[in-house]
Amino acid sequence: MNAKQAQKFALAYLQATQCHIIEKSPYHVTVKLSPEADRALTNRPYYWNFVDRTGTEPETMTFRWNFAAPGETDNEAASGSAPTHASLFDPHPAAPASQTAPLLPNGVRVIQDDVYFGSRRLTQLFETIKQAGRCVTLFAEPSRGSGNPLGSQPYTAWLGANFKVSYECDMRREELYGIGISLATGVIDERFLARLRETKLTPRLPSNVHLLRNGLSLRKAMNQLESSLERRIKQSDFRWAEEAEERRLDELERVDQYYKPMIERSATQEQKDAISARYRQRASEIDWQYRPRVSLSVINCGIFHLPGIE
Amino acid sequence: MSYDPLQNLTVTPAAEEVKTSIDGLAAPGSDTDNQPKPAQPARKLHPLVDLYVDRSSFEELERRIERNGPWDDWGLYQMAWEAEEACRIDDFHELQSLRVLPQLTPLPHQLDTARRVLHEMRGRAILADEVGLGKTIEAGLILKEYMVRGLVKRALILVPASLVLQWVRELNAKFGISAIAQKKGYHWANDIVVASMDTAKRDPHRAVILDSEYDMLIIDEAHKLKNKRTGNYQFAGDLRKKYCLLLTATPVQNDLNELYNLITLLKPGQLGGEGEFASNFVADRRTAKNEDRLHAALGQVMIRNRRSDGSLEFTKRSVTNVPLHLSDDEQALYDGVTQYVRQHTRSEKGDMASMLSLVTLQREVCSSRDAVFLTLINLSKKVTPDSPLQHRIWELVDLIRNIKSNTKAEKTMEIIRNIDDKVIVFTEYRATQDYLIRYFKEHDLTAVPYRGGMNRGKKDWMMDLFRRRAQVMVATEAGGEGINLQFCHHIINFDLPWNPMRVEQRIGRVHRLGQTEDVNIFNLCTYGTIEEHIVHLLHEKINMFEMVIGDLDEIVERMEKEESLERKLARMVLESSDASDLRKKIDGLGDSLLDAKNQLRKERKP
Repeated sequence: MNAKQAQKFALAYLQATQCHIIEKSPYHVTVKLSPEADRALTNRPYYWNFVDRTGTEPETMTFRWNFAAPGETDNEAASGSAPTHASLFDPHPAAPASQTAPLLPNGVRVIQDDVYFGSRRLTQLFETIKQAGRCVTLFAEPSRGSGNPLGSQPYTAWLGANFKVSYECDMRREELYGIGISLATGVIDERFLARLRETKLTPRLPSNVHLLRNGLSLRKAMNQLESSLERRIKQSDFRWAEEAEERRLDELERVDQYYKPMIERSATQEQKDAISARYRQRASEIDWQYRPRVSLSVINCGIFHLPGIE
Repeated sequence: MSYDPLQNLTVTPAAEEVKTSIDGLAAPGSDTDNQPKPAQPARKLHPLVDLYVDRSSFEELERRIERNGPWDDWGLYQMAWEAEEACRIDDFHELQSLRVLPQLTPLPHQLDTARRVLHEMRGRAILADEVGLGKTIEAGLILKEYMVRGLVKRALILVPASLVLQWVRELNAKFGISAIAQKKGYHWANDIVVASMDTAKRDPHRAVILDSEYDMLIIDEAHKLKNKRTGNYQFAGDLRKKYCLLLTATPVQNDLNELYNLITLLKPGQLGGEGEFASNFVADRRTAKNEDRLHAALGQVMIRNRRSDGSLEFTKRSVTNVPLHLSDDEQALYDGVTQYVRQHTRSEKGDMASMLSLVTLQREVCSSRDAVFLTLINLSKKVTPDSPLQHRIWELVDLIRNIKSNTKAEKTMEIIRNIDDKVIVFTEYRATQDYLIRYFKEHDLTAVPYRGGMNRGKKDWMMDLFRRRAQVMVATEAGGEGINLQFCHHIINFDLPWNPMRVEQRIGRVHRLGQTEDVNIFNLCTYGTIEEHIVHLLHEKINMFEMVIGDLDEIVERMEKEESLERKLARMVLESSDASDLRKKIDGLGDSLLDAKNQLRKERKP
């Protein structure tokens, strides 16, 4: 994610959470947070608890986010000079995570932050969004002028899910899958997310639309999606796991060679127990580190009603 | 989670990943997923590989369908995917951490080290770079890489007390890692904790730590763990860890047993069992046999970058000796002490410890009258009141009373005024340090002290004061370890340690990576004293100030096989009949240092 993409991402979040943008340049934004964003970003649980209990009008915080790499100063941004490649990568080790800027004219305190890929603020946004964009129910907007204005269009319900698959041993690699299954027929679409992106979606049920009966329970659909992904993973190349296993055995053998003779040679039972305990500890550390495994998690999921009978 | 969680920014209890293996899904509306369940493999994917499934989002969807909402925003839903995609680790090998550290530009050898530790050494390694090559950066890179990959969540970093805050600062500022310094009991619960070994190994902390599992353990100044009978060593061995980095700047290759112990801590069996190791590699304590095989075995767990490897550019060092003549009063004291020392050497034949303290007296006179005064007073307390020695000591104290000025301090003042920039003054003696600070203050020069005995906070404060306010820092030897003062490039050695390594450590505080100016070193040297001989040895004879440090530490280690250099020198001072005899002996020592150097050169050539 480059600086421009990070900026786009942050601005999209502010917009999605209805924050009030006070001012904006190509290099920064000053924003008064919406209550939703404030709850998520400012780490003030006691304050929000107070607001919720007393029903007081909440006073949200104001942020200024700089989108250039750390160390870019206001002057540069204000003078309109584009940040050069060199300055983006300037070493600037002591850049503080966040600082307080001078007050706005109306006396509001502004929290300053650098927002770039890897910065704390953007990482926090990522974490927040994983919670805030977890479950949806959406309908495709019917294409205008198609079909009979008096007739009703059939819609199929789909379960769409985004999966993260991570392949772990002493190293790790990840894959993402955005797939979906028709609740009417059980058909699986491997490019479901891509399809959704080309569709205009709305949270409200459009008029002149009727929903098909589901032939599949939600839970069954979930299991089928999961097993289809599992089949796919099973067919993948497992050389990484075999190599990890080799490393594991190699490490284990080394530890064996070290401790086994010591255990045999130990003079007292006490000594034997102590060495055996240590041996077991080392062996379990190796297992912990190298044992190959795959974990599958659902990033987010939703019910999508799309036109057609599938 | 692909990033270090932002404890201090956000509280998201639901973010805790719950792995469940229950076949089918939890009943809608149940709260069971708020309680962590033990992760159990769901199914086998492959004879070697288990599959773990986290269905918490599915469960959430069912719950919301049951309650008819609330539904999240489609834009945010897509952004969640986008965030995952941006953080995705698409490759087992390529370094991922650099993408998230745009402000950090590691040097090529640091990147290379990080890669080797990750891929060849499987995350367990000894980082033994020479002083000033950035071991902390390397360790930080490796830690960050594992964190970005989600393989390390909890890490424990054990360092000398004086370095705790520096580690915390560097990890936070340079790597965006939310490390905290352990101060309170509950701090152990933080994911990334920096603590001192001495604190960690004591109860009640000890129990807490041994009860935890750490994805990564980092130990700085790990050469302190070389003795396997110590509590520190046992403690480090008892810790449960996955990845482990041991950092040391001391070349441990020279004592084979110590080396063996350190590696056993990291990878037991890497050099074979104890018996095998002895028979395969040890000729005697300090000499190895089958060196090629030993080096190959070491190369799998240890990385040592050297300045002399050539890929690094350092600024120049310029060394100036500042010869001085003691004032008549000072000379009288020096002569008095010398005479006293000689008399005593004869009477205390053989007792090396007390002979060493006698030489110390002589060295102290060269530093300041305050230093020698303190030692004399302590000496007089040990002697019975009616002994004739008591009288001799008080005669010397009288000589001190006559001294009105300090020639060296005056000269130092003059040098500092000429430099007109930040200067660090090193002395061996606490009393001299106090005296100098007082002296500078009387002459309207702001100076801050720095010494080993200060607590963490005070040290940091002094460093800050030096950076921002004071022109001068007066440091004693203990201030050497781990402080970075690249913003200063003038050093005055008010007096010199007799161990060349310690001189090098002083210079290394300033002449290190990140120093952009040439470094000026001034050695104060009083004529007609032992100091003159030492400066002669270190500067003229072996030219240590300009030597590449990697050579130096190995040369000194070789020379010190039987006896430390300091003791060797002290013995020479005591045993020589006059100045020219001493000079001859010291030249001999210098020659053997040079021989060791040449021999090392030859061995290095493949």
